[in-house]
Amino acid sequence: MAALTLTPGAAVRRRSPSASAFRFGFAPRTIILVLTGLYFLIPLAASARYALEGSGGSISFSSIDQLFHDGTLWSGLVTSLEIAAGAAVITLLLLVPTSIWINLRMPAFRRTMEGLTLLPLVVPTVVLVLGIFGAFRSFPNLIVGTPVILALEYVVLALPFSYRAIDSGVQALDLHTLVDAGKSLGSGWTQLFWRVLLPNLRTAILSAAFLTVAYSIGEFAVANLLTFNTFPTRLYEVGTEYAGEATAVSVFALVLTWGLLLVMSFVGGRKRRQHAATAALPATTELAGSVSEDLAAEVDELAGAVGLGGAGAASAPAPHDEEQGMTDDPAPDDEEN
Amino acid sequence: MSELGTVSPPAAIMSLAGGVAGLAAAGRSGVRVELVDCERRYGTVAALDRLSLTMEPGELIALLGPSGCGKTTALRALAGLEQLDAGSVRIDDVEVTNLPTSKRQLGMVFQAYSLFPNMTALDNVAFGLRIRKAASSHRRSRAGELLELVGLSPQADRFPHQLSGGQQQRVALARALAVSPRVLLLDEPLSALDAKVRAQLRDEIRRIQLEVGITTLFVTHDQEEALSIADRVGVMSAGRLQQLGVPAEIYEQPANVFVAEFVGSVNRLPGTAAAGRSVDVLGTRLPLPPGHEILAPGADVDVLLRPEAVRLRPDSAGLGLVTSRSFLGSVMRVNVALGGQLAVVAAVPAIEGAMLGVGTTVAVEPVGAPLFVAERSAAR
Repeated sequence: MAALTLTPGAAVRRRSPSASAFRFGFAPRTIILVLTGLYFLIPLAASARYALEGSGGSISFSSIDQLFHDGTLWSGLVTSLEIAAGAAVITLLLLVPTSIWINLRMPAFRRTMEGLTLLPLVVPTVVLVLGIFGAFRSFPNLIVGTPVILALEYVVLALPFSYRAIDSGVQALDLHTLVDAGKSLGSGWTQLFWRVLLPNLRTAILSAAFLTVAYSIGEFAVANLLTFNTFPTRLYEVGTEYAGEATAVSVFALVLTWGLLLVMSFVGGRKRRQHAATAALPATTELAGSVSEDLAAEVDELAGAVGLGGAGAASAPAPHDEEQGMTDDPAPDDEEN
Repeated sequence: MSELGTVSPPAAIMSLAGGVAGLAAAGRSGVRVELVDCERRYGTVAALDRLSLTMEPGELIALLGPSGCGKTTALRALAGLEQLDAGSVRIDDVEVTNLPTSKRQLGMVFQAYSLFPNMTALDNVAFGLRIRKAASSHRRSRAGELLELVGLSPQADRFPHQLSGGQQQRVALARALAVSPRVLLLDEPLSALDAKVRAQLRDEIRRIQLEVGITTLFVTHDQEEALSIADRVGVMSAGRLQQLGVPAEIYEQPANVFVAEFVGSVNRLPGTAAAGRSVDVLGTRLPLPPGHEILAPGADVDVLLRPEAVRLRPDSAGLGLVTSRSFLGSVMRVNVALGGQLAVVAAVPAIEGAMLGVGTTVAVEPVGAPLFVAERSAAR
């Protein structure tokens, strides 16, 4: 009995509110966040201030005005976006099946693969560029001399980031069990891939795509080396002539990239939130749910007919570990009815 | 001495009786399943060593054994998830050894939670039908029926992470049954659940299996689970089937020492073979088990006795000393030291056990035929 009365008391003392909150909670976290935010925002604010500075310290939008009238800059941006999209698509097509296959069939090769994907960080960029250039030399009109070569370069250079993003997502799944379960239910590999694996790798895929896109949009050295007119190379050229405009473009580029990533993130997370909200709704919304389910089923069948994943796949939420914050734990009284 | 589990024979026998009656009612609509001389090796280790097993239509067989005995490999070989080095698999008298899993028309429930995280419970159950291109309305009505069968209709729109472990396994069972499989394979489906939920779900699985009448292979390392749920239990060790029989037979007439020691608790005591199909143990002459080979009189043997076959009587001149006891409800398990390294466990009615406090001197008397009589092991 003595032990029973002592133990809760000790627990209460350990949970002394202010001390533990200060040691592990709100205050240090806020300080770190503020410092990190300042580290990123101060240069950005300084750049914005410089870009908007007119004569005598007044505010001027002339740099911004020039920016919107520079046609070559916009064509460079379009090229960069196209290359980034291409690099992201190639990355996903290559890495998603590779990572799944390695985790499923060749787990012993995983470490080697991790090492291989780190090579772009240790091998000098020029060597990689020339290597890739040499590898595709026999396709002069299709690859070399077209933006495709740049997309291929970026696939390799972004590999250390994109592979990790996908691989960690794959490892978070109980891949063997999901695949075995799918097979036992009559599913082939294609159906498994589209209906089970891809929807559950949504977050990992989006992360890999974000990283590849962000890397590709901002990369200067390789594009300059291969004499492509991309957004960063054009930015460099502008910068050599008009410092104010170059700074305005830099700020604009940052905001654009963040905005793009925000949109991608929002699109990726929207369906997930919808699902969680629908699941939490009471029975009174059953009618609306069944209507949307009908619609989803129809879209799904249409998508199936054209060989796509379908609404079920497209609207799937990410693995549950990323959704725990949005939903409650199962109610104990639900356990056994 | 083995100290595995607390199953009692009456419970196992009652389960058997209930099971047979239920099967008769269900009319056994399943198919025959055969594993014939199946072999599977990992390097030098034989996971399956010429394993043969025939499952009658509608029968539930539990494969029981310690970790690494090959029971899951046998189930996976039947599912087509494991390639056999030799042997064959037949379902409904058709050879399926080289048929891919997706074409074997099986339902599986796994040890790990295997629901697809991106789908609701209803979508999970309907998945197999969707793969088979069933109409949307049929998928939903069938999935609804199956969820009702496992008592989870209100949770149809929940995602796996919103369900408890027991609920997830019930949805997995509904999903496995939704495609009207020919065989149901259960790979330790209850091992991740807590004891109370496990017992409830175990009964539920049996109820549903009888209701559907599907041939079922249930793999488990939990002997209580196996003995209480199965029509027949197969005890495996080192890739081989040591014994296949109804639960009572496995418990009361083990085929060898391994089965005797693995299933239930057993005392292993030194004895001497005596004339007239009998054996002397702890100063008492007992008959040999029915069908046991005749032993040369005077031979040293090990006599295996169940705790319930050991009677204790307070006796100041007795050879035993009570060292500890555990209350198990209607019975009490009493540990008795017999001097030297020798000890015996007795299961006595709780009322009798209450009088046998620690330190009490007792007389130990074996009753009935021993479980098994084996040659004296070298270790002793």
